[in-house]
Amino acid sequence: MRILEEGKADYLKVDPDGYRASVRDHKPHQMVSKLMTHKEAVERFVRDGDYLAYDCNYFQRGPSSLIREIIRQRKKNLWLCGKFTYVACALLVEAGCADRIDIGFIGFGPWIARAVREKKCTIYEYSNAVITLRLKAGAMGLPFMPARSFGGTDGFQHSGCKIVEDPFTGKPVLLVPALNPDVSIIHVHQADEFGNARVFGTGIAHAECALASKRVIVSAEEIVATDEFRRDPASTSIAHFTVDAVVHAPFGAYPGTVQGYYASDPMGVIEAMGAMFRGDFTEYLKKHVYSVQSHDEYLQKVVGTEKLAEIRRRETIREGYAS
Amino acid sequence: MSTPATDFNEREFVICQISRLVDDKYIYWVGGGGEPMNSVLLAKRMSAPNLQYLTEDGCVGPEARVPFDPLMTMIASPANYRALQWGTMNYAADLAQLGYVDYGILATLQVDRYGNINSTVVGKYEGGEGRRFGGPGGADSIAALAWRTILVTDQQKRKFVERVDFISSPGFLDGPGARERHGLPPGTGPWRVYTPWAMFGYGADCQLMLQGIAPFVTLEQLLEEMSFKPAIAPKLEILEVPTEEELMILRTQIDVGGQVTDRGRWIELKDGKYRFATP
Repeated sequence: MRILEEGKADYLKVDPDGYRASVRDHKPHQMVSKLMTHKEAVERFVRDGDYLAYDCNYFQRGPSSLIREIIRQRKKNLWLCGKFTYVACALLVEAGCADRIDIGFIGFGPWIARAVREKKCTIYEYSNAVITLRLKAGAMGLPFMPARSFGGTDGFQHSGCKIVEDPFTGKPVLLVPALNPDVSIIHVHQADEFGNARVFGTGIAHAECALASKRVIVSAEEIVATDEFRRDPASTSIAHFTVDAVVHAPFGAYPGTVQGYYASDPMGVIEAMGAMFRGDFTEYLKKHVYSVQSHDEYLQKVVGTEKLAEIRRRETIREGYAS
Repeated sequence: MSTPATDFNEREFVICQISRLVDDKYIYWVGGGGEPMNSVLLAKRMSAPNLQYLTEDGCVGPEARVPFDPLMTMIASPANYRALQWGTMNYAADLAQLGYVDYGILATLQVDRYGNINSTVVGKYEGGEGRRFGGPGGADSIAALAWRTILVTDQQKRKFVERVDFISSPGFLDGPGARERHGLPPGTGPWRVYTPWAMFGYGADCQLMLQGIAPFVTLEQLLEEMSFKPAIAPKLEILEVPTEEELMILRTQIDVGGQVTDRGRWIELKDGKYRFATP
């Protein structure tokens, strides 16, 4: 295949054979219970230097409680998958946890800008859908995937993509390198203790993240019986054997929404956005992360039962968000 | 029903312009929130009740329950209410790649003569020196894959430039044939650029052409707010102002908190002419 043009940026090494071997050797093929706390899941499955993907983001059915736990454990040198996200990248970079970001769309803010200028953070350019396509290639066990977008942009020059002559049509076509994150964190509506999981409503790339990632932590609003999945198998979004840890995290997406379960907390959203735009998460981290030891303690002491009842009450739409 | 309004602001003006283009014969992919989303929400309540639009999270044809909480234009249940189908991002991109998306509607930071879109950096990219923004997000897929792209931006000299500082999402790149050479599907590309003051189309040379102008600015004022002089259509259309009905819906149902429209200058009808209101 003739290469016509190449992006010049680093990208996570593409190694489908290595990934297959890790699926054989490390994925839990047998049905075993994986229920554990936030603390244990992050201690065991998020490592310094990992490529970390999260789905969706801090405000929209995202694994916000797991992101706070990663910061609490002061993980280092993470490489972030920055698709469809506002504050999470800035939070993780400013907390000292991350130093590389693949960007589709992120809330940039002055802190990341400064880190980039001081060479403490490196950024690579993609688009949201180019990143989810990279995850899809990773989720299919392939080395790359063709796409008919992203060519001709300046982002392409700062990516790991290539344009080649399509061997079938002879026309130029873009290839995206497969992405197999070291670890993905995914927040879902329901999971069983083994990791079978359901997302109701739209999403970004939760199924691709689960299939493409070496290690997967699922946090769930509700832990349900496996019989629930057997009753309606078509609504299973993620199969247990892709999942390494299951964390029960009611209100795990706070201050964000979990569609059908609770609305976002606009004050909480604005507080985080404000800190990002100011480029100063010091107070935010102190209050929302370091002042407590666990998610349960966070909900009780920082958020409060009144607020939780309010966001539950404000979510009046139920249609489609149950099996 | 369609009484021309006597008081409105620039932002409301541009939302109404785009809203009137929207037709329920077509499928739209609407980028993010802001003016693009408000335009389709308004159209659905005015002229296109069966309008189908798609958002980046793979939501097909919702009948959104407005107003939204801040930033909750996707994923959240009110934005995705009564949709025809719920998917994910790769599904949205697949639909556009297949050719189902007739029109994309996008807001941008900076645009150039060829309709290239910058939402990454104003100033120098290398070394992180320029002023950095969030990146293309879903706009690159829309600009690359929708048959026709409608862009909305502000009418400011620094936003209308000869060449964008960074091509985040593709316009016609550097002229006819360039999109295809970089692997983009043929027959796609920029179609209109709307600003609060004007409407632009494209000539056969793939370059921006001024086609319409708001009744509250002169051609001279408009060109002052561009870094280059565009081609000008032989017959310049005078854009119609918002109607009272459009504004009523926009203000009382869609942008109740003024999240999108509470910016920009006010325009009033005085002595039979539309002009900027003096505070």
